[in-house]
Amino acid sequence: MVGETLRNLLLIAWLLPLCGFAVEIFGGFWGSRRSRVAAWLAVGCIATGFVCSASALTIWGNANGWSVLHHAEHHADETAADGHVAHDSVTPPAPETLAAADAHADAAAKPAAEPDAQKPQDSSAAATTAHNDSADHDHQHTAASPAARTVYSGTFYRLATFGSLELSLDYYIDSLTLVMFTMVTFIATCIHLFAIGYMSEELTEEYVDHHAHLRNGHHVHRPGRFYRFFAFLSLFCFSMLGLVLAGNIFQVFIFWELVGICSFLLIGFYTERKSASTAANKAFIMNRVGDFGFLIGLMVVWTYFGTFKFADTVDVDGHVVQAGLFHMLPRAADGNVIINPENGEVQIGAAAANPGNTHKTIPYYLLVVAGLGVFAGCIGKSAQFPLQTWLPDAMEGPTPVSALVHSATMVAAGVYLTGRFYPMFVQEVLLTIAYIGCITAFVAATIAIVATDIKKVLAYSTISQLGYMMLGLGVFGWGAGLFHLVTHAFFKSLMFLCSGSVIYGCHHEQEMPKMGGLWRKMPITAFTMLVGVMAIAGLAVPGLVGPGFGQLFAFSGFHSKDAVVATALAYVQANPAHFLLFILPLITAGITAFYMFRLWFYTFAGTPRDHHVYDHCHESPLIMTGPLLVLSVLAAYCAWGGEQGSLYLLITGDQPAYVSHGIPAVAGALTMPGHDAVHAVHHQAGTYALIAAFSGTFLAWLLYGSGKVDVAEIKRQLGGVHGFLANKWHFDELYDALFMRPTHVVGRFCASIDRLIFDAILHGSAAATVLVAKWDRAFDEKVVDGLVNLLGNATWSAGNSLKVLQTGRLRQYVMFIVAGVVALFGVLLATFPR
Amino acid sequence: MLFSQLIQKLIQDTTEKSLPLFSVELCLCVTIVLMLLVRLLGADRLLPACVVAVIGAASALACSWMQYRELYGAPEPVSTTFFTGMLIHDSFTVYFRAFLSLFLLLTVALTSLTGIPDEEDSPDFYSLLFGATIGMMMMASSNSLLMLFLSVEMASVPSYAMVGFLKGRKASSEAALKYVVYGAGAAGVMLYGISLLAGVLGTADMGMLSERLAAAAAGGSGGLGDPEIRTASLGILLIMVGLAFKLSLVPFHFWCPDAFEGASAEVAGFLSIASKAGAFGLLVRLCVALSGAEGTGPLMTAFGCGLGFVACLTMTLGNLAAYGQTNLKRMLAYSTIAHAGYMVMAVSAMLVMSSSAAGAASAAEVTRSMEGLLYYLFVYMFMNLGAFAVIALVRNYTFGETLDDVRGLISQSPTLCVVMLICMFSLVGLPPFGGFIGKFFIFASTLKSAETEPFMYVVLVCGGLNTVFSLFYYIRVLRVMFLEARPADARPVPLPFASWESAFTLTLAAFVLLLGVAPYVMSTTANTAAQSLAFFN
Repeated sequence: MVGETLRNLLLIAWLLPLCGFAVEIFGGFWGSRRSRVAAWLAVGCIATGFVCSASALTIWGNANGWSVLHHAEHHADETAADGHVAHDSVTPPAPETLAAADAHADAAAKPAAEPDAQKPQDSSAAATTAHNDSADHDHQHTAASPAARTVYSGTFYRLATFGSLELSLDYYIDSLTLVMFTMVTFIATCIHLFAIGYMSEELTEEYVDHHAHLRNGHHVHRPGRFYRFFAFLSLFCFSMLGLVLAGNIFQVFIFWELVGICSFLLIGFYTERKSASTAANKAFIMNRVGDFGFLIGLMVVWTYFGTFKFADTVDVDGHVVQAGLFHMLPRAADGNVIINPENGEVQIGAAAANPGNTHKTIPYYLLVVAGLGVFAGCIGKSAQFPLQTWLPDAMEGPTPVSALVHSATMVAAGVYLTGRFYPMFVQEVLLTIAYIGCITAFVAATIAIVATDIKKVLAYSTISQLGYMMLGLGVFGWGAGLFHLVTHAFFKSLMFLCSGSVIYGCHHEQEMPKMGGLWRKMPITAFTMLVGVMAIAGLAVPGLVGPGFGQLFAFSGFHSKDAVVATALAYVQANPAHFLLFILPLITAGITAFYMFRLWFYTFAGTPRDHHVYDHCHESPLIMTGPLLVLSVLAAYCAWGGEQGSLYLLITGDQPAYVSHGIPAVAGALTMPGHDAVHAVHHQAGTYALIAAFSGTFLAWLLYGSGKVDVAEIKRQLGGVHGFLANKWHFDELYDALFMRPTHVVGRFCASIDRLIFDAILHGSAAATVLVAKWDRAFDEKVVDGLVNLLGNATWSAGNSLKVLQTGRLRQYVMFIVAGVVALFGVLLATFPR
Repeated sequence: MLFSQLIQKLIQDTTEKSLPLFSVELCLCVTIVLMLLVRLLGADRLLPACVVAVIGAASALACSWMQYRELYGAPEPVSTTFFTGMLIHDSFTVYFRAFLSLFLLLTVALTSLTGIPDEEDSPDFYSLLFGATIGMMMMASSNSLLMLFLSVEMASVPSYAMVGFLKGRKASSEAALKYVVYGAGAAGVMLYGISLLAGVLGTADMGMLSERLAAAAAGGSGGLGDPEIRTASLGILLIMVGLAFKLSLVPFHFWCPDAFEGASAEVAGFLSIASKAGAFGLLVRLCVALSGAEGTGPLMTAFGCGLGFVACLTMTLGNLAAYGQTNLKRMLAYSTIAHAGYMVMAVSAMLVMSSSAAGAASAAEVTRSMEGLLYYLFVYMFMNLGAFAVIALVRNYTFGETLDDVRGLISQSPTLCVVMLICMFSLVGLPPFGGFIGKFFIFASTLKSAETEPFMYVVLVCGGLNTVFSLFYYIRVLRVMFLEARPADARPVPLPFASWESAFTLTLAAFVLLLGVAPYVMSTTANTAAQSLAFFN
């Protein structure tokens, strides 16, 4: 029952934006260009979606008695007592079949003293039984646990069946899904409201685009596209929510691409501007590169596992008809994937419940390929190194788009998928993820130091923070990475909206060197921006951070970044060879604080540098500042309580079973740190990170806030480094040389082959045909036509001469009878045999 | 046998056997009497003559349909002589009866639509029409040389009157006069031939002709050296000349263009189809009667080749002479001549094949050639009547029948133009129209006959060439109708699409198309009729 309620609520939240899109795009096209109806419709859809999502979260929590939170407190107490390790390792591995699950459920019932601690390992078993209410009911009784069921899955609609391949629209609802739904709908609602103010210039029959020029030097004049913007936003929300709700990896791919096309449409919203259309193309094409890897991963998954679904398929009796992907990879008690030592292949689990699949084993390297393939998609979508270059260019879109699509949600989809698909990733893939994330975080942060466009700084900051999330996931901090995803979504959307407010107030001026001292003109924006900056920098007041009201002095970024850095430190301690995975993020934490405060000081503090801009700028209207205020509260305190707070516990409520206790190294492999290991270094890592953040903040104040240091002089002295960074590490030039130019060379070569050989053949044959045709025509005209005309003329004249016979004289006619008879008889006599 | 017994037997034979078999003709006779009576009683306001005519024609069609059903059920082809052997009743006869009844129905319908006989004259006109039709039916069923002459005259005399029916028009009277005189001459020639043949062979019964001819041939050399054969051949030739007049074969066609031009289009259509059909029935009867006996093969083959030669002359002259015509009826008269030539090809092929030494082996082929002739006649009825109907309908608006009257007609009456197009294409013999199938049958049997007699190849090539020739003048009419602009001074032809006239012409066109795409509708019937001719009995 709860499952159906949740499903229906999320279905409404998911489909409402689609209805909105349909109504807005057609209604807007035929309606008035000055009407705000489309916007309010979009807001209504997404706000209803938020209400549904929030209700779903509440219902879900009530259904399991908020066991996730209680469990975590319990768990945290145990952790604090430092005596918790033992029973995690004695529990059997996650079962593959229902029978095993039942047996396990019985086994789980016996150690009644710690039923909650059992729960994380049991989540897969819970998922196995989750589809059937009666089975679930029994389970609850035997296990005596109120938290038995937190995962719901099923099928909305079957699209098609090709042999044993079933393509369907499924749903997979767990705590992560619900948190993401709530977060996405809430932020989207705020941004929709903000956009009503920001996009109001489009409410006109004739919009003059000052950044797009015609060939004669005039500005482009076009009808306003207010309705279209909101239609696209609605479509985007539909796609993003579909991606989060998806119950199979193929469905994820479908919505992955839908999200991509929405991004394309929104980046290229000012399609008359060359830079905007180029940026839209760039984003789309770079994403395709990643999607190519995604497709390879999908093929491997389909070939060897025979299904795309995450969760098991059960029939009405609760029997597993088809095992889901998450239960197919057998892991030993310690969390390592079980490999057959003889041939290096991995047994595919739940074979009995997987009748359509011919493969019973999968080579280990193909597991790595599948994982890397799917992660390649995430690289493209989340703008990770080496496909990061599209995101800064994507800032050509309107600022609300940057806030919603390119910071808070869509780019986070890559991180979300990495987290969602986590059970399928083996250690080697995770290490790749960690390094990619680490490099991305550092490279992007360094570029952000020298960027002067206010939106570009935030764009690089986004890439850097996404790198952090990937790093967190890669170093086995499943919760840490996704925690940072949610907190970042709040404070980054806040900062983008603030920058949008600045740009709106300064009449589309984006260059920070022309600003300065703006806090006097726009205090609300400045204040909320400061909150965001402090949050992302990870600032806190040392010594005052603690439970209760001590949380007032620690912003959300502090908690989530702390979690990532701590996990990284624990990882590095376990695997010293990969020390960079801690050093670089730590440095990056300092850089982050530096460039974010640089941005704030540059923009809001000091004295005005360009009086023209300053004199004309103004605070934004309430419809724009309202969302800023709401978001600033959440940006600051959404992570209240840190890793013991409700947000973190909600996210990690349904984390993969083996994550919390870590994975010990086997035969030279990597050691994955468990929660205890992370907790042990938490204070140490937190201290390092805080020191880095404060030093970055101080440096920023010194250079840009105090006015005592000549920044230009430093820039001149470090010219080489500055140039290198300002040119974004020359990535664009590198790709140009590596891919674009060779492609052009090959293209020119092919074109010349075409032109010189194939065209020559074609033209030659055409010329020959023409020649033959000319001869043919001459023959036709002279000989054939001549003959026909001759025949025609001959018959015509013969016919006319026959008229002479028909004299009309009766006497002659009768004479002809006689003559005819005589003639015929003559013929008869002449021819007939005697 | 006593005379009274003879009379008794004759009366019994007539009432019990002959009259039922004669029911179709009797229907038409009764209709004639009824029409005249109705006018005599002054009831023609209540019961117009055309209604009586339609009912009579329809009941004749029904009678022939019943006769056909009766014969169709028999396992063997049935052949019965009646009226003391003067007439013969078999499915060939019934086919022609049905054909002529149907055509009569269509003609009555057309005349009542175009109103060519006014109310005053219509009993007279329909009496003539029905009388001529009775003659034609008897032509197809005659079994005696005497009946041959009588039936031809019975068909001809009302035709003369019909040609001259447009009283007060000089051209009409002149045409009728030419027709009468020419017909009288031809009848004289034919009568002379009959007397020669009957005299030499000692019988007028057509069922005995071939035996007697064979006996005569057996006595002498069997060639023209033999005086009996020479005389008989002359007799046959002269009879055929008489039939050639009815068929308007070259060089006995001179009456045809003049008579058609003078007569109204409806009468011309009737003459070009019904008169031809009857004459063909008679020609086939005569040929079948003469051929098939031992020893007369070479003679009959020579007559077959002679018919082929005449067919070539007829086709070529008919087509070529049609070229320069501006009067549509006159053009169609020449077209009729040419088509008679095509159809004579079939008779010639039949004669050649049935006289050949190969004999019985080709009986199926002989039957097929007759099937081709009968099929062609059936198609010809629709396509030629369609063309004449269009001319008659246009004439009612423009009072003219020349090419100028139909110039640019497409802008005013597309229905008529489309019907004309279908009819003309079918007359040329283009698929998918019925004319193509008919021509195909005839050409195929001519090709078959050429295996025994090489001269038939010449006939075949001539027929093929003539098909090409004929294309030009038919297309010319269509070009004038479709592609040229309607002259400003031309009288308009505002024929609405939803009218009886359109429906009538479209029905004809639909049949032309149907016979082109579904030949089996009619070919099996034609085949059954042809089989009853009992070759090589």
